[in-house]
Amino acid sequence: MPRIPTRVILDAYRHDRLLPLLLRECRSINSAKNELRWLRERAVSIAHSKSTNRAATLLKSMCRARSRGVPLQYILSDQPFGELDILCKRGVLIPRADTETFTSHAASLISRDILKIGRPRDETPTAPLRIIDLCTGTGCISLLLHALLAPRVQQMSIVGVDISATAINLARRNLIHNVQRGSLSDRAMTDITFRPENVLQDVSRSSVAMESQQLNVVISNPPYISTESFTDGTTTRSVRIPEDIFYYHILSLSFNLKAGLVVLECGDRLQGRRVAALCNTLAQKYSRMDGLHVTVWPPANQGLDGSPPEDIEPCIVILHRTGSN
Amino acid sequence: MFKAPWVCSRFFVPFARVGLSQPLLLQRRSLKTDVGLSPGLLARARSLGAEHSKLSAHLANAFDAKAAKRVGELAPIASTLKEWEHANKSILELMSLLHDPDTENELRTLALEELETSKATLPVITDNLTKALVPRHPFADLPCLLEIRPGAGGDEAGLFAFELLKMYVTFCSHRGFRYTLLKQEVVDGPAEDRLSEAILEVEADGAYDILRTESGVHRVQRVPATEAKGRTHTSAVSVMVLPSFPDAESGLDSSLNYEDPNSDYYVDPQEVRTEKMRAGGAGGQHVNKTESAIRLTHIPTGTVVSMQDSRSQHANRKKAWQILRAKLAEARQEAREQEMVELRRGVMGGVSRMGRGDKIRTYNYGQSRCTDHRSGLTVHNLDDVLDGGKSLQNIMDSVRTWLVDHEIAAMAAEESAKNKEWLRAQQR
Repeated sequence: MPRIPTRVILDAYRHDRLLPLLLRECRSINSAKNELRWLRERAVSIAHSKSTNRAATLLKSMCRARSRGVPLQYILSDQPFGELDILCKRGVLIPRADTETFTSHAASLISRDILKIGRPRDETPTAPLRIIDLCTGTGCISLLLHALLAPRVQQMSIVGVDISATAINLARRNLIHNVQRGSLSDRAMTDITFRPENVLQDVSRSSVAMESQQLNVVISNPPYISTESFTDGTTTRSVRIPEDIFYYHILSLSFNLKAGLVVLECGDRLQGRRVAALCNTLAQKYSRMDGLHVTVWPPANQGLDGSPPEDIEPCIVILHRTGSN
Repeated sequence: MFKAPWVCSRFFVPFARVGLSQPLLLQRRSLKTDVGLSPGLLARARSLGAEHSKLSAHLANAFDAKAAKRVGELAPIASTLKEWEHANKSILELMSLLHDPDTENELRTLALEELETSKATLPVITDNLTKALVPRHPFADLPCLLEIRPGAGGDEAGLFAFELLKMYVTFCSHRGFRYTLLKQEVVDGPAEDRLSEAILEVEADGAYDILRTESGVHRVQRVPATEAKGRTHTSAVSVMVLPSFPDAESGLDSSLNYEDPNSDYYVDPQEVRTEKMRAGGAGGQHVNKTESAIRLTHIPTGTVVSMQDSRSQHANRKKAWQILRAKLAEARQEAREQEMVELRRGVMGGVSRMGRGDKIRTYNYGQSRCTDHRSGLTVHNLDDVLDGGKSLQNIMDSVRTWLVDHEIAAMAAEESAKNKEWLRAQQR
């Protein structure tokens, strides 16, 4: 990691005494300033009386925590995700803006291909929409999908699955939190459920699969960092070996459940291509090649911002089956 | 910052009282509208009145949202036209009564009195009629965005831009308008009070019409806080008032619905490039990033909007779109107005128009005065102006009158030019 020039630290100090602390983690003065503003706003709102002393002490301790590398989202204990507000806690991955983009893309795919919105009325299916979200973490994908799809779908059920009890508890809290905030409709309380299951052991035999006879969508943002690179301290460096083990299990599961649409987030485009290849191999094994389309999104010639995406950017692999639904 | 020693503050007290108790010293050079109604304008009023009665008759049978809206627009013109015609008719009747030799003396005096009052009210009605004839600005009912950027003058311009922002914020709270600061960026440095850009959203309906008098370059003349030798500097801050479009779901009006491709203010998402600003390096789950900045570029016009104030990328994108739409709509409206000016210049020779590039107002601290260069109004109570108080309101009102006068003059000239051409065509 390049050293921060003394000049920049000095500038930061002149601007605000607390700024150099944030600079350690943010690396650029502009983002440090933004973080300081957000921390200050929160400190003032927590202290919420006019006792400026309390807010100042709070802000100072927040900045210290940040300089020790505690993520901003853990300090503030939440992160905006679409229209939602997702609570964050140690031990559960923080939702990222990329996932937000991917989730809204998935929602538009669902309304186009499964709900067939915009087609003649008689074609719209009456069966309830069933979605399963594997490795749900904070539950952000399930919740955002519900928020995006609820106005257009009469009946739906979303099941979020995670191995960690902490994550499941947090996801349930997030559900209640967002319904109370009004960013989710009341029916979300019955439509969304979270269950502790192990994705790596065969989920298809467990209770989730038994109930999900007619499953439409499998969506997942599995952890794609291997344990080795997690422990050897390279997680914030640029070189590491992404972990593919989850994808094998998730794909086998979705072939077993005959899902019409599978959306998987991958760490970079290389991994994306690997997962796409894995899809084709597994499809042959399950002999379900008919009408299967495997695509990587965003497409290689046009990224999210119009320019071709770089190889290190995250992407999604979409498995789409036509005619089977 | 302007700091006066304590002796001075006492010295100012009597002056302040004078300013409050007496009507403000007004120096006006406004365009006078003539009392009589020009035949061109009258013809226009008559045709609009006829349209109103026709549409009302149509509405009595079947409801039509578009027609109802048009009737609402025309109603004030029609009613003032009726008033005007009634007044004229009564004057004519009274005149004939007076000229009739058979009229009794008692009746004659009564008629004379009546005639005087009628003649006194006629100019007022005429004035109302001309004002009603001025077409409403297409954005008049919308809330607005107020963008403030320092111009020439370096640090001092940034300081004054901050003061202008405060002025508009207090003005909004005095008037009871709800506002939010969409964007506030300060210059890198030790102090927080040097603005490099700010965008204030005023959420009240019709705020655009109230604040559109503020678009242009505001000039400040004072001894800046950064000046060591006590010299007066002149710097400039540009203010731009942009329309803020309501959400597509709530807007019933199709001409202002920005999601309708037929609308004049439609922005094609294909023409806009979205960039997420990244610090570079790998993304994904490997790093925890808090950067949520968004930059939108409208490719055909090269308009760029960037937004980083919120932690939510979603919210930043929404705000950036709102500002981009506002900027493009304003630019399109401006182009249309420019076309009109060109047209009018063709028929009547030079027509002045105040664009956003023109200096519109001067704030002089040394003389504690604020002068608007369009209406020519000077207010000698700068503190109250910068406080967003009554004086600022007066200045804005004077500019609005000026704008209306200007519009009427241009309209009358246009109509008479049209009439002349028509006559020429008839003679041939």
